[in-house]
Amino acid sequence: MVRLPVITGIGFVTSIGHDRSTVVSSLRELRHGFERHQFLNNPDLPVKVAGTLKGFSFPSPSWRDWSWPTQFSVDRELLRGLPPHGVYAMCAMQQALQEAGLKAADLAGGDTGLFCASAGSPYLLSHFVRDMYATRGQRGNPMGIISSIAGTLNFNLAAFYKISGAVCGFVSACASSSHALGYAMDEIRLGRQKRMLVVGAEDMTDESILSFASLRALSINPDPGSASRPFDRRRDGFVGTGGAVALVVEEAGLARDRGARIQAELVGWGQAGDGHSVAASHPEGAGLREAMWRTLADGGVEPGDVDYVNAHATSTPAGDRSEALALNAVFTRNHARPKVSSTKALTGHGLSLAGAMEAAFCVLALDEGFIPGCAHLEQIDPICEGLDLPLESLNEAPSLVLNNSSGFGGSNVCHLLRKAG
Amino acid sequence: MESSSSPSNDPAPPKTNSSRDKMRHFPQEIQEAFRTFEATRNPDALDPVILAILDDFIPKKTEVPLATFPGSTRLIEDLGFDSLAITEVVFFSEELLNISIGNEELMQVRTLDDLRGFIRKKVSPAPAA
Repeated sequence: MVRLPVITGIGFVTSIGHDRSTVVSSLRELRHGFERHQFLNNPDLPVKVAGTLKGFSFPSPSWRDWSWPTQFSVDRELLRGLPPHGVYAMCAMQQALQEAGLKAADLAGGDTGLFCASAGSPYLLSHFVRDMYATRGQRGNPMGIISSIAGTLNFNLAAFYKISGAVCGFVSACASSSHALGYAMDEIRLGRQKRMLVVGAEDMTDESILSFASLRALSINPDPGSASRPFDRRRDGFVGTGGAVALVVEEAGLARDRGARIQAELVGWGQAGDGHSVAASHPEGAGLREAMWRTLADGGVEPGDVDYVNAHATSTPAGDRSEALALNAVFTRNHARPKVSSTKALTGHGLSLAGAMEAAFCVLALDEGFIPGCAHLEQIDPICEGLDLPLESLNEAPSLVLNNSSGFGGSNVCHLLRKAG
Repeated sequence: MESSSSPSNDPAPPKTNSSRDKMRHFPQEIQEAFRTFEATRNPDALDPVILAILDDFIPKKTEVPLATFPGSTRLIEDLGFDSLAITEVVFFSEELLNISIGNEELMQVRTLDDLRGFIRKKVSPAPAA
């Protein structure tokens, strides 16, 4: 029996909006979510832009000082073990469940699993460890570990929603939540679960983002309107962001039986390693190229069938170059010209969140019938010769879209999504 | 608009917060009671503070104030504390009162009276600074 995973709900806390309609209009109108941001209260740092989460505030490590937009509620009992990105995740989950027509009680019982991805909370972890040093190990916040290590999302959400199906966290840096979604598809296809909740999230803190400055990976362009410009000749690094995206993935039969609206079908996924470097992508995008081929094969489609590719491109000089070469190898060389754009030009790079966020953008493109354009792209890098990079969003309804993600260590993951049929 | 950074970036050596800072989300009268305790070291003044700490960490709020519960009320069975919430109460009290509470001692504390008596005992000899 072929079991088809489908998407019945998505929820957003992103720099470009905290609800479906705002996110759609941001993508259609190419409205970015960046602001000038002073990292570490240090005006001398060259990194000056971030993808901010409007209406959320985490001014101290104590949850008592935290706030979030009034349309969301976060249970006090849950807050004590949450990192900032756990608050984002709760807000995204509430939207996704509402779209899917599910109540918390529907998630218990073993048919529903939960796969999550985040890098943990370096913000809370650093405070926890500093207190440990200060008391020479004699005292510590009991929730310090739970709220800060990678896995905190699945610890918290699984307990809160009483998930007794599969529960797991994924750690492959910027491909993490793409792995979570891919393996969630497998859980459904293998008949192990009828429904999977997939959540990707990251803190938007100095500790989570500025750390990448030491790798020289962040843009030092101070202009929020052009700092993130994937595939542009003048790109100089990524702009960091945080937030959360939640997706409800269900077996198509279950979704139909309960009358849920299917927003998109998940028809394939694949992954491949670069086998090359701990941090840099393969210079010709070898792993990403192979991951795309495996994904197309998994979905039983040809390059020419793909209408749109949501590229991983983060706006780093080397990474975008590798992806452009990989895209040309898979598509252009096979006489296929899908539209290609990187929505990181609008959101910034969400790290572990990126894959799930962009998969959800692909769902919006299929479900709402548009193709996001390439924001901030003015001087196309000649390496992109052959790629179809629309400068504006298009009122064209794609039928089949590919979502690319790449992470440290050369982890490359792709998903193939199809318009609900 | 320039958004602000989290104030987590003080390069100075780590310090635990002042007791005033730790109490700042408590009602005025509780903060007052704590100041009285600090000035007099009279453990009677701590009783409302202990109840306020419990009330702050209790997983589900009680319908009537904690002060109306008899001293024999059990923290876990009657008030719904779980082991995590109890460790939070312990951590907060240790920090606030500058005491240390061992695991074995903690095992003996089951009721409101146990907790009150235990904390009184802990703070009675002037704690080492």
